[in-house]
Amino acid sequence: MMKRDYYLTSISLVLLVIFLYFADMYMDAYIIRILNLCAIYTILGLSMNLINGFTGLFSLGHAGFMAIGAYTTAILTLSVDAKVQNFFLEPIAAPLANVVWPFFPALLLAGILSALVGFLIGAPALRLKGDYLAIATLGFAEIIRVVFTNTQNITNGALGLKRIPPYTNLWWSFGIAVFTVIFMALLINSSYGRAFKAIREDEIAAESMGINLFKHKVMSFTIGAFFAGVGGGLLGNLLGTIDPAMFRFTLTFNILLIIVLGGMGSITGTVISAFVVTISLEALRFLDQPIDLGLFVIPGIAGMRMVVFSVLLMLVVLFYRHGLMGTNEFSWDKFLKVLRFKRPLLKGGKN
Amino acid sequence: MEMLRTENITMQFGGLTAVKDFNLKLNKGEIVALIGPNGAGKTTAFNMITGVYKPTKGKIYYKGRDITQMAPHSITKLGIARTFQNIRLFKNLSVIDNVLIANHLHVKSNLFEALLRVPKYKNEDRSMMKKSMELLEIVGLIDVKDEKSSSLPYGMQRRLEIARALATKPEVLLLDEPAAGMNPKETEDLTKFIKKIRDDFDLTIFMIEHHMQVVMGISERIYVFDYGITIAHGNPNEIQNNQRVIEAYLGVDDNA
Amino acid sequence: MTSIMFLQHLANGISLGSLYALIAIGYTMVYGILRLINFAHGDIFMMATYFAFFGVFFGLPWYVAFPITILLTVLLGMSVELTAYRSLRDAPKISIMISAIGASFLLENLAIVIFGGRPKAFPTEEIFTKVIHIGNISIQRLTFIIPVVTAILLIILSYLINKTKTGMAMRAVSKDHETARLMGINIDRTISATFAIGSALAAIGGVMWGLKFPQIQPLMGVMPGLKCFIAAVIGGIGSITGAVIGGFFLGVSEIMLVAFFQSMTGYRDAFAFIILIIVLLFKPTGIMGEKISEKV
Ligand SMILES: Nc1ncnc2c1ncn2[C@@H]1O[C@H](COP(=O)(O)OP(=O)(O)OP(=O)(O)O)[C@@H](O)[C@H]1O
Ligand SMILES: [Mg+2]
Repeated sequence: MMKRDYYLTSISLVLLVIFLYFADMYMDAYIIRILNLCAIYTILGLSMNLINGFTGLFSLGHAGFMAIGAYTTAILTLSVDAKVQNFFLEPIAAPLANVVWPFFPALLLAGILSALVGFLIGAPALRLKGDYLAIATLGFAEIIRVVFTNTQNITNGALGLKRIPPYTNLWWSFGIAVFTVIFMALLINSSYGRAFKAIREDEIAAESMGINLFKHKVMSFTIGAFFAGVGGGLLGNLLGTIDPAMFRFTLTFNILLIIVLGGMGSITGTVISAFVVTISLEALRFLDQPIDLGLFVIPGIAGMRMVVFSVLLMLVVLFYRHGLMGTNEFSWDKFLKVLRFKRPLLKGGKN
Repeated sequence: MEMLRTENITMQFGGLTAVKDFNLKLNKGEIVALIGPNGAGKTTAFNMITGVYKPTKGKIYYKGRDITQMAPHSITKLGIARTFQNIRLFKNLSVIDNVLIANHLHVKSNLFEALLRVPKYKNEDRSMMKKSMELLEIVGLIDVKDEKSSSLPYGMQRRLEIARALATKPEVLLLDEPAAGMNPKETEDLTKFIKKIRDDFDLTIFMIEHHMQVVMGISERIYVFDYGITIAHGNPNEIQNNQRVIEAYLGVDDNA
Repeated sequence: MTSIMFLQHLANGISLGSLYALIAIGYTMVYGILRLINFAHGDIFMMATYFAFFGVFFGLPWYVAFPITILLTVLLGMSVELTAYRSLRDAPKISIMISAIGASFLLENLAIVIFGGRPKAFPTEEIFTKVIHIGNISIQRLTFIIPVVTAILLIILSYLINKTKTGMAMRAVSKDHETARLMGINIDRTISATFAIGSALAAIGGVMWGLKFPQIQPLMGVMPGLKCFIAAVIGGIGSITGAVIGGFFLGVSEIMLVAFFQSMTGYRDAFAFIILIIVLLFKPTGIMGEKISEKV
C-alpha cells in the first residue's frame, strides 16, 4: 500500500514537472502569471490555514507578514541602479544601497524576518482569547503598513518600489508550493500537528492534557508567518512593483476566502481552493472593467468583483460551513476508489 | 505517603463563594470521593487543583510542592490528570488521536526532529502508538479507534476520557462524575474498572460522584460539600450516619 | 504651545472622543451580548453618512434627512444581524467572525459599486459649522454640539438600559443566554434591539462625523471602526461606561499626539493599535471590564 502511494505520488510530481516545463516554454505570459499566482496563493493559503484552520487561532495579520516578505526580497534583490532610481525623494539608507542578493537567500531572509516579527507579535497577542487576537493581528498588519509608508529611506514610503527583478517563475513558485504542501503534511501528521488540532478543538481540554497552549500557538503562528513572508516575497518579485497600499486587509480577505472555501483544516482543500479562487479572481476581473462589444461599451463597475466574492464568502459560511473538504484530505485510496466506481469523491473520509 | 494537599482553598466568582476553605488530603493509593448537591462547588474544587481556576485564597501542594500558581499543563506534567463532567473530548478527531494527543507532553523530540522524522522521533511515535493502543484495549475501545470521537455513544465517550487522562501518565487521577448517564450495569462495571486502574497504574484517585452505590462501594474516605463548605469528612460508614449530611444532601438528592 | 492652543486641541480631542464613544458603544453592546466583534459596525457607520448625504442631496432639509438616516441605519444594522449572524448563533465562533468580515466587506464594496469610489463632499450646514469666537479661541459650533449631543444620548441610553424592560432583557441575555431564555426573554428580539440601538448611535455619530470631516468615501468606516473597537477594549469590552471612557481617551490622546509631536503625524493611525497592544498586555480586561472566566 505505502509503496503504491509512493510511486503514484512520484509519478504525479514528474507529471507536474513536465507540465511546468511545457507551460514555461509555450504558454503566454498572462497564463503563466496566473499559474504563478495560483502557486503563491497556495503557499499563502496553507500558511494561514495552519494558524486559523489547524490551530484554531483567528489571525488576520497575513497582509502584514506578506508586506514584510515582499519588501525584504524586493530591497535585497533590486539592482544598485534601480535603487537609485526608486529612491529619488530620499536616498536609500546607506547599508542597503549596495546589497544585491540572489533570489533564494533573499526569500529565506524574507521568511525569517517575517517569522521573527510573527514571534514578537505572537508572544503578547497569543495570550489573548480568540477575538482579541483577531483585532491585535489586524492592527499589527495596519501598523506594518503605516510604518512602511513612513520609513522613506528604507521602503521608499508611499511611492513603493518599482523595477523589482522578475525572478519569480513557475519553477520557484511551484517548487516552493510543493515544498510547503509536503512541509504542512509532515507537520500536521506529527505529534506537534496533533497538539495544534487539540488546541483548535478544545483549549481547556488540551491544556489539561498537558499541552502548553502558549508554546504551541506561538509555534504555529511563527511557522505560518514564515511561509506568509516567503509567499509575499514571491509575489513582489512576480509583480515587479509593490507599495504599502497593496497590503491592505483585502489581501488577507482573499486568503481567508481561500481557506474557508477549501475547508478550514484541510491541506487538499486549500490547494484546490487557491487555484479556484485565484483563477476566478482573474476571470471575474471583467466585472470591474468596461466590456467593449464593438457597437457599444458596457461600463464596468469598480468593486463589483469584490461584491461577488464577499457574497460568496458569506454564502459558504452560512450554508456550507465546512467548505469543499471540511477537514478531509486527499488520499490515493479514495482517489482510486472514485476512479473505479465513480462514487462521489471524498465521502466518509476520516480525519 | 501524602500525594495531594490543599490548605483552605477558596474560590469566589464575584459575590458568590463557590468553595470555601477546603482542606483536602490524599494519600498514595487511596480512592477518595467528593460528594454534595448540585452547585455545591465540587467541579470548582477540581478546577482549582488542576490549575484551570486560580484559587482566590489558599495553597495547593502536590507531593509537598506548591502548585497553586502553576499552569494547567505543568500540573498535568507533574502527574495530575482529570476527566470532565461535561465531556470535553477533541470532538472532530478520531478516538486514537484523542489518546495520542495526551501523550504529546512526554515527547522529547523537538519540532524539527518531528518534521524530519528522525529515528528518535519515529521511535517515540511508535511507542506512543503502542501505548495508546494498549490503553484503548484496556478501556475496550480498540474496535472503534478510527471513529470520530463525537460519534461514540455516551458511555464510550466517558471511557475515552479516562483513557485519555491515563495517557498523560498520572499519579493522581481526578474523575468528575464518571458514572453520570450510565445504566446500572455500566455503573457496576465502572466501579470495578476504577479499582482495577488504581491497582494496575498505581494511582491515587479523587472522584466526584452522585451515584451512592459507586461512592460507598469503593471510596475509603469521603468529603461532603454543601454550598462550598465542607460539612463532613470521614469513611463511608461515618458519612452515611452523619446527621448534617443526611439533612443537607441525602434528603435533596434523588440518586441516593 | 500656548494655553489657548492647548484648549483648542483639548476641545477638538473631546469632540473626536465623543464620536469615538458613540461608535464604540455599538461594539461593546454587541460584544457584551453575542461575544462577537461586529466587524460590519464601522461600515454601518459609513452607510449612515451616505444616507444623510443623499437625503440632503435630494433636497430634504437636514432636520428631515437626519432622522431618516437614523431610521435607515437602524434597519440596516438589524438586517445585518438577521442575515449574517442569526443563523450562525450555535456555529463555531470562527464561522461567525468570518461571516462578520464578509458582511463588512460586502457593505464596503456595495458602497463602492452604488456610490462610487471617489470621495463626496458632505453637505455642510451653516448652523453646525459656523465658527464662533470666545476671546482668542475660534472654534466651530460643532465642536461643542458633538459632546453635548453625546452627553444627551448617553443619558437616554442609560435610562434605556437600566429602566426599561428591553434594557433589563439585554443585561440578562449578556449574562447568560440560557438562563435568560428560561426566564422567558425573547433572545432574538433582544439581540435585534441591541443592534438597533448600536446602529442608531453609529448613525448619529456618522452624521456628526460627516459634518465635522466633510468628505465621505466607502472605506471611511474602516479606520474609525477599528479604532472604536479598540476604544471599547481599552474601556473594558462589554461595559458601556468603559466604551465612553475609552472613546474619549483615544480621541483626546490622538489629537494631542498629533499636536505635540508633529513628526509622529504619519503614525497617527498606528497609535491606536499600539495602545491596544499595551492595554492587552497589561490589563486585558480594560479599565472597566470584569474578568469572565469560562465555566468548565
Ligand atoms: N466560571 C464560573 N463563573 C461564575 N460562576 C461559576 C463558575 N464556575 C462555577 N460557578 C458557580 O459556582 C458554583 C459551583 O459550581 P460547580 O460546578 O463547582 O458545582 P458542582 O458541585 O460541580 O455541581 P454539579 O453537581 O451540578 O456538577 C455554581 O453556583 C456555579 O454556577
Ligand atoms: Mg460539577
